Amino acid sequence: MKSKLILAASVLTVCTMSLAFTTNQKPKPWPVPEKNAKMVNPVKSNGESVSAGKALWNLHCASCHGKKGLGDGSKAAQLKTTPQDISQASVQSQSDGSFYYKVSEGRDDMPGFKKKIPDTDDIWSIVNYIRTLKK
Amino acid sequence: MKLNINFQKRLFATCLASSLLFIQTAASGQDTTAAKERVGAVKAKPVKNTFQSTWIIDNQTVMVPVKGTFEMDIMHRFGTVTKGYDDLWGLFASSNIRIGVDYAPINNLYLGVGLDKYDQLWDGSAKFAIVKQTRGSMPVSVTYYGDLTIDSRKDPTHDIFNRSSDRIYSFNQLIIARKISDKLSLQVAPSISHQNAVAGYYVKVDSTRTTLFERMKHDHFAVSVAGRYKIGEATAVLLNYDQPITAHATDNPTPNLSFGFEFSTSGHTFQLFMGNYSLLNPAKNNLFNVNSPFNYSQTGGTKVKGGMFLIGFNITRLWN
Repeated sequence: MKSKLILAASVLTVCTMSLAFTTNQKPKPWPVPEKNAKMVNPVKSNGESVSAGKALWNLHCASCHGKKGLGDGSKAAQLKTTPQDISQASVQSQSDGSFYYKVSEGRDDMPGFKKKIPDTDDIWSIVNYIRTLKK
Repeated sequence: MKLNINFQKRLFATCLASSLLFIQTAASGQDTTAAKERVGAVKAKPVKNTFQSTWIIDNQTVMVPVKGTFEMDIMHRFGTVTKGYDDLWGLFASSNIRIGVDYAPINNLYLGVGLDKYDQLWDGSAKFAIVKQTRGSMPVSVTYYGDLTIDSRKDPTHDIFNRSSDRIYSFNQLIIARKISDKLSLQVAPSISHQNAVAGYYVKVDSTRTTLFERMKHDHFAVSVAGRYKIGEATAVLLNYDQPITAHATDNPTPNLSFGFEFSTSGHTFQLFMGNYSLLNPAKNNLFNVNSPFNYSQTGGTKVKGGMFLIGFNITRLWN
């Protein structure tokens, strides 16, 4: 009887731990200063800008965020933070300024790109490309 | 030994024609978006990413990274493929290696230093972006590249070098490039390489007198034509050709033909290719290359065997 109890307790422990590790990670809130969130995108979303944004996305972002922004890039599994699905409406509801701030500044696993992509118009072009990923 | 005159003229004419075509394209190749930008009030910005790396196989590209960029290069050239399976097409043969670092202290200026395995060559370089291709106003980008090299091999008994200055080589190059389209970029780069000491002398005897000649001239002109064509967002095909211009009394260097692939990520660029240059130094490659890409006849009828290609790779890592 005692051994059955130990076995049952062990199974319960393993199941609980498995669930703990398989539960979806909730995205950590990423507050954006109001001033930045309200920034107006100065780059018109046309073919040229989206094309430039796509090229930069594929070079700098796709390895983690995936080609379509689904968070399924080749490096995603190695990150401490699971990249969000950018195509989701809840993510796309952010302002252009919020996206610009996050791409520029970075956080945790995500590097800031303001030095790597020194032309601010290029970052706005990435924002324009991110908008095309919306499902 | 001079290259066959007709052969050399033909190659020179090819390079000249390529250059003229390139300049012609540059002058007339402004796309329609250029006209649109002229109309707009916004000031046009220089064209970006003409090349993805500071290197295109053995030559520098027109690219000068932004201020604060630090770069590390690892370059490898294996043996020639001529022995086939015996040394796995050169992969198991003796190889040349260069390790280098570069830094951009201000915008448009790039300073570098590197060390080669062969002859323990230390090189210091400076690269300066003179003008940048801009839609509606500037059809090409022009960058100056200079490199000073010191052969640092130990020579206590002066068997190799009579004077310390004999160790020095210099290389000066003007790189003219144009991003033709989102996929295609081309560049032409005339250069002059200088050696402080020539390799030696040869004696010419005729019926009246004996004359002493230097085997090579101290200065050597050459021109490089290179291109990159993107076949994917991160992958491109590279092609490069270096043509010697100066004809020396003996020891004429052979041209260099190289081709391969480039793979880019956010911080890295990988180039994997085949070519004829093995010395990993611009002056020494232009002055002393002996690996010929194709068969040709030297004056006197000596046949030079072609196909002396070798496999190589460049890895660059940028931090900024």
